[in-house]
Amino acid sequence: MKKIVLTGLLLSTGLAVFSQKKIEYKEYDLPNGIHVILHQEPSTPIVAVSVLYHVGSKNENPDRTGFAHFFEHLLFEGSENIGRGEYSQLVEKNGGALNANTSQDRTFYYELLPSNQLELGLWLESERMLHAKVDIKGIETQRSVVKEEKRQRVDNQPYGSFFTEMFKRVFTNHPYNWAPIGSMEHLDAAQEEDYVNFYKDYYVPSNATLSIAGDIDIEQTKKWIDKYFATMPSGQAINLYRDFLAQNDADFEKKYGIAKSKFDAKDFMNSKDPAAKKLIATYAAKKIEVKRTKKDDTVLKGVTKDIIYDNIQLPALFMGYKFPEQTSADSYALEMLNEVLSGGSSSRLNKAVVEKKELATFAFSFYYGLEDAGIGIFAAIGASGKTCDEIQAEFDNQIELIKNELISEEEFQKVRNKIENDLVTANASVAGIAENLANNYVYFGSAERTNKLMENYSKVTREDIQRVAKKYLTQDARVILNYLPKEK
Amino acid sequence: MKNIIIAGLLLSSGLLSAQVDRSQKPAPAQAKKININDSQIFTTANGITVILSEDHKLPRVTFELSMGSSPRIEGDKAGLAEMAGSLIMSGTANRTKDQLDKEIDYIGATLSADKSSILLSCLSKHTDKGLTLMSDVLLNANFPESEFERIKKQNESGLMSTKSDAGTMAKNATVKVNFPNHPYGEVMTEATLNAIKREDVMNFYKANFTPKGSYLVVVGDITRAQTEAMVNKYFASWNGGPLYTNPTNDGNFSKGNRVIFVKKPGAVQSVVYVTFPIKMRTGDKNQLALNVLNGILGGGGFGTRLMQNLREDKAYTYGCYSSMNITEDGSWMSAGGNFRNAVTDSAITQILKEFEKITNELVTDEELNLTKSAMAGNFARSLERPSTIARFALNIKKYGLPTDYYQTYLQKLEAVSKEDVLTMAQQYFTSKNCNIIVVGNEEIIENLKKFDADGKIEMLDAFGNEVKEVKKADIPKEQVIERYIYTVTQTKNQKELAKKLKKIKSYERVLDMTSAAIPIPLKMTDYWVASVTEAQKMEGQGMVFQKSYYDGKTGFTYSMQTGKKELTADEMESKRKSSGLFPEMGYAKNGTNYELTGIENVDGKDYYVIKITEKDAQSFDYFNTSTFLKERSVAIRKNGEETVETSTTLGDYKVVSGIMFPHAISLSVGPMSLVGKVSKMVVNGKIDLKDFKD
Repeated sequence: MKKIVLTGLLLSTGLAVFSQKKIEYKEYDLPNGIHVILHQEPSTPIVAVSVLYHVGSKNENPDRTGFAHFFEHLLFEGSENIGRGEYSQLVEKNGGALNANTSQDRTFYYELLPSNQLELGLWLESERMLHAKVDIKGIETQRSVVKEEKRQRVDNQPYGSFFTEMFKRVFTNHPYNWAPIGSMEHLDAAQEEDYVNFYKDYYVPSNATLSIAGDIDIEQTKKWIDKYFATMPSGQAINLYRDFLAQNDADFEKKYGIAKSKFDAKDFMNSKDPAAKKLIATYAAKKIEVKRTKKDDTVLKGVTKDIIYDNIQLPALFMGYKFPEQTSADSYALEMLNEVLSGGSSSRLNKAVVEKKELATFAFSFYYGLEDAGIGIFAAIGASGKTCDEIQAEFDNQIELIKNELISEEEFQKVRNKIENDLVTANASVAGIAENLANNYVYFGSAERTNKLMENYSKVTREDIQRVAKKYLTQDARVILNYLPKEK
Repeated sequence: MKNIIIAGLLLSSGLLSAQVDRSQKPAPAQAKKININDSQIFTTANGITVILSEDHKLPRVTFELSMGSSPRIEGDKAGLAEMAGSLIMSGTANRTKDQLDKEIDYIGATLSADKSSILLSCLSKHTDKGLTLMSDVLLNANFPESEFERIKKQNESGLMSTKSDAGTMAKNATVKVNFPNHPYGEVMTEATLNAIKREDVMNFYKANFTPKGSYLVVVGDITRAQTEAMVNKYFASWNGGPLYTNPTNDGNFSKGNRVIFVKKPGAVQSVVYVTFPIKMRTGDKNQLALNVLNGILGGGGFGTRLMQNLREDKAYTYGCYSSMNITEDGSWMSAGGNFRNAVTDSAITQILKEFEKITNELVTDEELNLTKSAMAGNFARSLERPSTIARFALNIKKYGLPTDYYQTYLQKLEAVSKEDVLTMAQQYFTSKNCNIIVVGNEEIIENLKKFDADGKIEMLDAFGNEVKEVKKADIPKEQVIERYIYTVTQTKNQKELAKKLKKIKSYERVLDMTSAAIPIPLKMTDYWVASVTEAQKMEGQGMVFQKSYYDGKTGFTYSMQTGKKELTADEMESKRKSSGLFPEMGYAKNGTNYELTGIENVDGKDYYVIKITEKDAQSFDYFNTSTFLKERSVAIRKNGEETVETSTTLGDYKVVSGIMFPHAISLSVGPMSLVGKVSKMVVNGKIDLKDFKD
């Protein structure tokens, strides 16, 4: 008994010395709605410039799946002032690196530059936001690139379709039903108006978060942000400007009742003509309401079990549960539950399923928390001669065990150590900090959550872990997929 | 809040909407002076130089302990240090490998080791535990026999695939030619690997891991006092022998261009390296300017001269690069790429031309600026990692660099001029005294003679060792085959042979195979039934991956990926020639196109080489000149534009029912190799071919 009490004491003192350091930052909104987050970290002369657009595959039309990701590719093609193919060249020539990614919930672009090139980064991102330009050749090229990407990552990858297959069955009432990579037929079917509308609906200042971290002078950075971003038209005026660029005289005049010649092509927002000025003001006052999806509160009904034949050699089992959205209070306990089951080689699933019973060559679980809902997945690739049912039986044993018995203090502490280490590492680079701040602002409404994570995790008890296991690992409501080798 | 309101006011009054000229790409601001914290240095009684670089940005800490001894000449045990390095983390006197792994995981740390260093990285509050594990590895590594054997096997497979890997062959030749009588010029071969014993590994470890002359670089969230306490607690008891110092030479500078050729039969592309040693060591004042030169010539990206000329302009290749390797024990420069056979000589001409141009003319401002910006960016981004800061601190101490060397790196880089680049080229570069390494198809040799100063091309093998000239065979091809057949059947004349073969009706052979690339053991079973029926299957973990069958009238192949395929007419014809207990016996009669190319020396042994040509495919069988046993076979076939090489090694011949069969059979296909031992060899047993009858 004495020993346990001591461990408890050590633990509670441990709370006070959690390693997470506070990330200082400034944040504000520009009048056109762009949310700006600035973090100064002078130790290395580099800067991460990122823009998060709150649009992902869940915002797609069901007959244009994969469009958000495809659009991300297109936005590297160029702009009114950046020629085709120059975008990445400009970054690389100047000692930088760049990339982007698209999830169900958002699209994220970033450049990592020497800090004396901050202005370049801001200009590049503002060009992308204001007037990206894509021609037919660019569309065709990127379509091929995306198809290659899908071949490489999904079609040609053993078990690569499990993500798509699982989401299809777990989310029957929500656009999480399809994966971000989407359907290639849908991409082939895309028309010009699809591109134009997607840009107008989602790539607008009020839907963007500009997050910058690194060796910056806050005041100078704000000035540049004013120059490149605050000057961007508010409300629908940005789309008026985009139509001005894209449409011919007749179409434009038909739509807006004013000839294009009334506007100043060089300085659109400061057009002198009174009628033009009035129209710009009218459109600037019209807010863009970005269409949001709804939270998915539905629960799974019963057990869905399917067999999927794939080009594989060993069978695999995937089990999916409906977990809550990432903003749920239970998300911390669920992450810790997952660490107990699957964190590292000493985790329960690895020990039981892979090492002791040798049922699988590989076994793991994860909690994938999204904006509107979440999913918990158990996965294993079978060992020779073992069946999916045998693996499932052991998974189920482990699930029963964690539901019925509190985890040990030692296991609990290991999980806390692991999470702490992960949290520190997550903020080791300025790129990581910029992304974390932006994610927390967009999804949780608070960039400050970046600093509260360890505190939130430290509130989770062993009992919480048991409770969420009981609540969400619903054996009578789940999806079970058996992957089997295609018939010879 | 106030700021925001003001900004809003300004905006609405239109003051801020002054025209922004977006067509102008913003110019960079002044390059920043880098804030690299000063390091603190102290030495311990047992001889460790501790370099501490405090960085409290994140609660993490890194301890990197590196040894100060010079590399050793390893001679007939070449590869020993590498082998030892990969075994250090295999367990200690106090912890098995499993325990060690588990304890590292518990604190979320990284602990790794190589031939001359050990690295720990963890949260600063786990420093004590991390160092407990690190010092246990340092002081008590015990190199378990089983792990030694496992790593040795891994190396064996690696060496086998080297023989079909042109890139590694070219690298081996490069170090051998640039650095004879130098630790860099030593390459592991099957013979040297075999000579390495567990005791050698342990002795190496004992000798190389000594505190004397070692460096412990500590970076992160830790103070001077804490560092001293930790070093005292964990490293004070560490003892060892003297520091080994052996000043190395600068390499071998050739007089006139030398062409060095490594044969890769059937290759459609050549790997080319134009290379020479550089008289420079880490920390030299010219190193930075020389790196700028390399960046312009071919150091990376699409904009370099080699890339623009050989790829964008001439389309000889997918990529052509140069690399500048400056180290503390020897330095060299190398430029090249992969070029199709027909343009290999043209590519070399262009590379030499670029060497000549850069030694004769100033580079352009545009080239210079592009390269400097890219280098500045790489440098700046690398600083975010604590390991980079650690490396800088170490370099400053170890190579006697000015203490502000890295603080002022960007300014120094900015100051490199066109004239400096030209001076560097003239001082260190040459287009007339190069080693031109070519790994490729023999057919291109003739075109390379023009590059060699004395017109004599030197031939090396896969490991960079000299190949003795192919000697003319002393007997005709028919006799090689005959002697082989008599030997394996243990007969002396045709009559005895005929009598013996009549009794052999069938065999079944099971080969157990392992491969570093495949996590599961594989089983290959071969059946032969007189006179021509043969069947083979490859299985693992209860599943059949591949099957093949041929009985003279029908035949098929099956693989899990592509399913079952009947043999084509061409394939049937090929099978007809190559089937039978000893297909060699049929060569003379069935029209096989075969020739005896001569006597080749491979790994110190002489072989008669029989070459068989059929359409696009070629194979080479190697018969030992003294035993007449077949010990090696290399088959090359075209697969579209590429060639695929399958190499088989046959050994451990044992007599079963009066016939000598090989019992050690290893395969290597491209980069993958499989090591096999025969676990079952039955002659005239019951053969069940029902698996092949569906």
